[in-house]
Amino acid sequence: MLRSVDVAIILRSGAVFLLTQQTAISSGAIRAQWLLAIGLALPFISGISDSYSPPDSSVLLNRLPARWRADDGKILSLDSLKGQRIFVAMAYATCHRVCPTTMARLKDLQRDLDAQRISAVFLIVSYDPINDDAAAWRRYRTSHGLLRDNWHFLNGSVADTERLARMLGFAYWRDGDHVMHDYRFVALDRSGAERGVITSAHHDLRDLL
Amino acid sequence: MTHRIRSIAVWMICCYGAYGVAGPAFSSESQDQRINVLEQKLDRSLKLIEELSARVRAFETQHSNTVEPAAAAENSPPEQQRLDSVQQQLTQLEDSNASRGSGGGIPLHGFADIGIGNHTADRPNFKGANIGAVDIFLNPQLGEHTRSLFELTFEVDEHGAVQADLERAQIGYQFSEAATVWIGRFHTPFGYYNTAFHHGQEIATSLRRPRFLLFEDQGGVMPDHTVGAWLSGAEHLSISKLTYDLFVGNGQALSSGTIDQRNGGIDHGGAIYGGNLGYVFGDTLSGLKVGVSGFRAAVSDDRQPGRLTRVDNAGVYLAYDTDRFEHLAEYYRFSDHDLTYAGPAHHSSLGFLQLAWRLPLATPYLRYERALLDQSDNFFALQTNGMSYFRTAAGLRFDLDAWSALKFELARTKNTDRLIEQWSDVMLDYTIRF
Repeated sequence: MLRSVDVAIILRSGAVFLLTQQTAISSGAIRAQWLLAIGLALPFISGISDSYSPPDSSVLLNRLPARWRADDGKILSLDSLKGQRIFVAMAYATCHRVCPTTMARLKDLQRDLDAQRISAVFLIVSYDPINDDAAAWRRYRTSHGLLRDNWHFLNGSVADTERLARMLGFAYWRDGDHVMHDYRFVALDRSGAERGVITSAHHDLRDLL
Repeated sequence: MTHRIRSIAVWMICCYGAYGVAGPAFSSESQDQRINVLEQKLDRSLKLIEELSARVRAFETQHSNTVEPAAAAENSPPEQQRLDSVQQQLTQLEDSNASRGSGGGIPLHGFADIGIGNHTADRPNFKGANIGAVDIFLNPQLGEHTRSLFELTFEVDEHGAVQADLERAQIGYQFSEAATVWIGRFHTPFGYYNTAFHHGQEIATSLRRPRFLLFEDQGGVMPDHTVGAWLSGAEHLSISKLTYDLFVGNGQALSSGTIDQRNGGIDHGGAIYGGNLGYVFGDTLSGLKVGVSGFRAAVSDDRQPGRLTRVDNAGVYLAYDTDRFEHLAEYYRFSDHDLTYAGPAHHSSLGFLQLAWRLPLATPYLRYERALLDQSDNFFALQTNGMSYFRTAAGLRFDLDAWSALKFELARTKNTDRLIEQWSDVMLDYTIRF
């Protein structure tokens, strides 16, 4: 019996290849061939690299500076957050105009996520890494009631802060103690790719859920 | 089928690459040079992708009738590798742009504001619409430790002519957070307001600075700018912070009724020097800063060549700045001496209290200012606006978005000596930053 078997192998880069084989085989042999094809495809799907599978450098999360000092004083590696939905915002502890709005909107977002039973990680990276050390962020969290475990207030080097800001589109500049910045946060999906952005011009949180 | 899917995959990568390169370039600072470089790189990358796409198509056409599908599948990995290589190159371009920092050009920022009212903010004899200032702000990061700040302001004078002022021009070396040395023209670090709020009025809650703290060319009576050297820093304590400033610079001169900072150097007269010590509270009093400051200056004037007035100033200040409040208070005491004639000390005092409440829709504020200035003191008597006064003001600030605000102020001012007069202000100011 002549049968056609199509096997789809999805590489991590997103490219799709169809391998078509035409062979005269029995029904039992077809099942065996399916199992063999799935077995061959599994390493690609599961991320076990083959000889030419490229590093996944296209994913945004992988390209951000990886290590940050969290408000608990420990180092948080962004690699450890892979597989989770992530929302990234930038703020600084002595901001009293824009950042309170950002925090309020993040709280709204958290509430909406809770309502839909969606888990997510919130990262708030300091615009002012020199002043916003772990202790300053802890005080900020306490005074603003932002104590959930899935919220992390981060501090990095000036260079890493600038790099992250550029990669995620956070524009900012300083005049003395004032940091000029916009209202913005970025959503990353479970693969680490950008899922959406909330700004003062585009602020429908439902787009990120 | 294979051809279509591969084409789709290639174009998806092209679109991703174009977005990856062009997106950050345009979302970052708008410097033509950087954009041109990125566009050239993007063009090269797109050409490479097109070449590879053409090769894939040619390869498929050539082998579609002669090569078994299984064999084609065996050939696909190298092509995939090439496509992945292109994708990686695009990603690297994007990363390179992100990591370049500000080395790719100088970000151009600034402030501007336009006012309208029955009087202008700093000239009670003018009314109607007025251009407040267009303030170009440059602060290129020149390295890990070198800092710089240049602020060029375009203002309209009382004759309607546009005047350009280099309000701040300072280059600094940051040893650490605890110590940065600046040289150049900077805002004299006395009190709180003068170094917390600068020329961009968008930063400040109120529509205008306290009258005695107006900048020198606007009629202020304090030496808001100094040309010299400034050591500044902060030391974190357990839950609080100590800040300090020490500065020395050219002694100011009184020229045509205003304070001249003598940007080009001094040929006579003395120096100004002083300091500021502040304490920033933490925990339950977070947002509260208190401090003391003082300076001594030898000030010359254009009325009598060779005359010097020694100006001694001591001040205390308090700022309570939180998400809900912005309360500010400053008080200064002058004890000035005419060094040429060795007369008695002349005592003057000035201060203001400002209370502001950050509400969800707007920030209302109240301010009271008082200046009791000794008119026998050369330092005040020779200044056009060196008379005593008091002012009460009530205002409202609306933040339209993160970059602009609308301010409204009602005020009542009375000059209490020299030429006694009083007037009321109704003013609106639209201020932005960019």
